[in-house]
Order: sequence, then structure tokens, then C-alpha cells
Amino acid sequence: MDVKTELRKSWIIMIKEFKQILRKKAFMIPLFLFPIVMIIFFGYGMGGTVKNVDILVINDDTGTASSSLVQEIGSFIPKYGDVKMFSIIYTKDMGQSEAERKIDAGLYKAVLIIPQDYSERMARNESVTLTLLTDSSDTTSSGIIINFMKQLFAGTSNSLVSLNIPDIYGKLQYIDFLTPAIIALTVFIGTIQTMGYAIAGERQDGTLVRIMMTPVSRGAVILGKTLHQLILQLARAMVLIIGAIVILGVKMNGSWLLVALVLIIFTFGAVGLGIAISAVSEDMISFQAISMLVAFPSMFATGVFYPLSSVPDWMRWIAYIVPLTYANDAMRTIMVKGQGLAFIANDLIILLFFAVFYFGLGVYLFRREA
Amino acid sequence: MESIIEVRNLTKVFKSRGRKITAVSDVSFDINKGEIFSMIGPNGAGKSTIFAMMTTLIKPTSGSIKVAGFDAENEDDRIRPVIGIVPQKLSLYPDLTARENLELMGNLYDVPKKVMEERIEYYLKLVNLETHANRFTGGFSGGMKQRLSVISAVIHDPQIIFWDEPTTGLDPQTRQAIWKLARKFNTEGKTLIFTTHYMDEADKLCDRVAVMNAGKLMALDTPENLKKTSNSASLEDVFIHLTGEEIRD
Repeated sequence: MDVKTELRKSWIIMIKEFKQILRKKAFMIPLFLFPIVMIIFFGYGMGGTVKNVDILVINDDTGTASSSLVQEIGSFIPKYGDVKMFSIIYTKDMGQSEAERKIDAGLYKAVLIIPQDYSERMARNESVTLTLLTDSSDTTSSGIIINFMKQLFAGTSNSLVSLNIPDIYGKLQYIDFLTPAIIALTVFIGTIQTMGYAIAGERQDGTLVRIMMTPVSRGAVILGKTLHQLILQLARAMVLIIGAIVILGVKMNGSWLLVALVLIIFTFGAVGLGIAISAVSEDMISFQAISMLVAFPSMFATGVFYPLSSVPDWMRWIAYIVPLTYANDAMRTIMVKGQGLAFIANDLIILLFFAVFYFGLGVYLFRREA
Repeated sequence: MESIIEVRNLTKVFKSRGRKITAVSDVSFDINKGEIFSMIGPNGAGKSTIFAMMTTLIKPTSGSIKVAGFDAENEDDRIRPVIGIVPQKLSLYPDLTARENLELMGNLYDVPKKVMEERIEYYLKLVNLETHANRFTGGFSGGMKQRLSVISAVIHDPQIIFWDEPTTGLDPQTRQAIWKLARKFNTEGKTLIFTTHYMDEADKLCDRVAVMNAGKLMALDTPENLKKTSNSASLEDVFIHLTGEEIRD
């Protein structure tokens, strides 16, 4: 079968998929309503704590006052269980813009800058302002760090010291942190669920076998269903982002094209995972059970609702093998931090790897099963 | 007579949880061009497995099948355009209309648009569904679904029609209509291959009947000759005579 025929038949399958899904009104409503409900309920109702969050302290002052301040910071760090909430890394000779880039790149959650004349001013009993930069795209960690620093200076230093906390990404709320990840989560679960219907459901109805009896290759069937998913999920994500901006006032600081790129690669992986789960499921009920097993840990382990730094170590290891973790990070880096391709390159490479792996696995299992 | 299907030493073994199940064991037969051929046998006799192998859905463990001169194992892409399959499970898309279900199958079989439109109108009229063409098939009765399923399988004008239990669960009127349809296709030169549990169906409709039991071909002849050979009054008696009385799982 030539490429043109393959594509034409894929197109036929894709059109058929759209006709079917657009007629399922009871399915279409929760498709769009579910993530909005999630954003509203979880966005205003959840918080958390953090562990081992990296804070960089830039101390360009060589006097004794700054040395004792550094010691105070180190000894003041609270613990969560047996683990310290913060890891303090010290450096010098770094400007604010370079410090901001470190935060952009996700290397530190906060940077405290001690000015060069800190000890001198303290000796002269003059007021002094320290700059605290935080990664406000992660509102949970950022809020905890700001509270920690305020308590530190209120409790141990004199009233001459004040904090300047610039909003490097603008004024952000928890909902800004949540929305990009909810969109990724929605695409992830939505793709797996609809692929389940498209494969396991069709197999149960007998229509898949009927399609397989026609002169259509398994590849064309999969490609048609995948194209349908890509268009559906991209449209859905765009509607959700626009809805979140207009209704909830969520910020979109980055490129729409980059969001689309992340979601396309991510959706490919989710399609593959959906096909793989469908291929090993005997019917829709078993498909639902297996997919929930995948969806729920992904939902809670991958930093959708709280930063990864707040989850237990074992859960973090699960997060590292779930593509949603990297999609969340990339989506936040684009939408909240407004960063470009260079800052999501690692996430994209890992997502691409997952996409190739899961898609390959899905196609292999589908072909074997078919 | 010219053979359109040649089955030679066909065996199919399934592996399930470490066990080997021989569903079809060393079966050979020919199906002639233009005949109505039926496979009968109790549950688990191997009819559906042979059916699935002839329609290229599964591959034989050993032996060979030629359909319209093409090897079923290696030339399935040549076989599929020349066969039409009416599955036992009425596999229609409930959220597509009758016309859209037919168009989907026509498109997948590469039927030219104009020809397809003419055939859709013709066949919908033939099975009395023309007034339901734009209704979703989810609301169709079993008889309507069966009629639509039949014409979905012939929209590409196949030489051979495979029909899995064509009248199971249908009322007498619909059964009569299906038989009429089968005869009409046959008079147009198409070869029809059935599986059925209804002996009267095989007796009235078929030129030749293959009796299967436990994966083996027990007998193959015209209904009249089968009755004569086993000295039976009906095909049901022939069936019991050849396959035994015990109930199968």
C-alpha cells in the first residue's frame, strides 16, 4: 500500500473518530468540565511543605556581620521529619541577573543576595536591604521560603535589616502554578481514556475486527486514531488555557507554539500508553481499572498539585519515570516563567524518549494483539 | 467445477496458559465458485476458526488456504478486497448513520464515490432501509442491523461472501428476507459461505454442507446425499449421527 493510500485511509479513520466523539454529548461535557472543576477545587484548597529545597546565598561582603548572618541562616533551617526543608549553597561574585537565570533554569528555588557593604552598614547602625529572589512559578515553595526568611530576620537580627522581594515573574498565585500542570494532566488522562474507547471499546463492540477485515493496514488504523487524538487534545488544551486566562486570570507568559510542541510530543506518548493498555485489556472494564492505576499515581506524584520537592523520596522516583512530570515542568517553564526552547530542552528530550518508547510499545502490542 | 477456495491439511493450535488446544486438525476441502457452502457443527467444532483463517484474520499453524487463487497466509492484502464478511456480532458504529456506516466501509474498500453512492441507494432499497438511511444505527432493531450489516459487507461487490451465523436471533420474517438476499447474491455469481446452527437453513439454502466435529471434517456433501448416506430423514439427524448427542461447552 503506497503512502498516499495510507494517508487517505488514515484520514477516513480520523473523520470517523471525530464524527463519533462529537456525537457523544455526555462524554464531551465532562471532557471540558473536569479540568475546570479540578483547577477550582484544588487551586484554592491545597497547600504543602517542602524538603531539601536549594537556596543560593550570594555573599559579596567579607565582614564579620555577614559571616554571622550566614551562620544564623544555616542554624535556623527548620526540619520536616528528619529532613531539612532547605539546603543552603553559598557563593560570591554573582549579579542579580545571573541569579535570576539560575532560577529560570530551575537550579535554585530562591537566591538571597547579601550586599557588599552589609557588615560596614551594620557597624554604622545603618539600615540595610537584602534581596530575596524566589521562583514564584512554584508558589508553594516560594511562599514557604519567603515566610522562612521573614521569620529569620524578625527573630534573630535587628530591625535594621529588611528584605526586598521582587516578583521576577510578576504577581503569581497558586492557580498560576496549578493551571499548566492541570492542562498536561488533562491531556494525559484524556488521551489514555479516549484511546481506550477507540481500541478496547471498539474491540468489545466488534467494530475493530470489522475494520481489520477491510484492506486497511494496522498502521493506518493507529495513525488515524493518533491524528484524531492530537487534534482533539491540542484543541482542548487551547480552549482550557484561554478559559483559564479569561475566567481565572491565569498568566500566559510564554509562546503558544512551544506549548503546542510540548503537548504534541506528550500526546504521542500518551496515545502509545493508551494503545498499550488497551492491547493488554480484555474489555473496557479492565481497561478502566488499568488506566486508573496509571492515572492516579501520575496525578499525585508528578508535582501537579504541589512541588516535587514536597513529595516523599519514593514518590519522587515514581515521578521520574512518568512523562507527566516533564510535561508539567515544561508547561510551567513556558506559561509561567515565559522561557524559551533552551530552558525546556531537557524536558522535551525526555518527553520525546517517552513518546518513542510508549508509541513503539503500543504499536507493537496492538499489532501482536490484532 | 472450478474451486474458488482450496483448504489443504489445515491445522490450528492455540496456546492458552501453557495448554495446547487443537481447534482444527488436518482439514482439507474445496469450495466451488458460485456455490452456497455451509459449515455446521456443534460448539467448539472448529467452524469459526476455519472461518477466521479463510478470512485472513488468523494464520494457520500448518497447512494452506487459497482464496481466489491467493495464499491466505502471505497475500491477505490481495484477498481482502475480493471477500465480504458478515460477522455474527453486528459490528456497526451506533453513532454513525446507516449511510455513514456504508460510506465508511466503501471508502476503506476504495469504492469510487459515484459507484458507492449508487450502490448505497440500491442496497438500502433492496433491504428496505432507504427511509432509515440518515438514522443512527444505535436505535435500529436486530433485524435492521442484520440487514445493514449484510449490505455493508457487499458494498465493494466481493466475489465471495463469508456469513457467520446469518439468522441467529432473528424473527422468521427477517430470516426469510436474509435467505432471499443470500439467493439473490448467489444468482449474481457470488460464492456464499455460511456457518450456522440451524439445520433447516443449511438444508434449504446450501448446495453443499461440511459437518465439523472436534476440529475434524466429518462429512462433506450435498444435503440430499448426506441424508441418504446416513439414512436420515433430516439434516438434524445427520448432524446428531455424525457428531453425537452429548452437549458441548
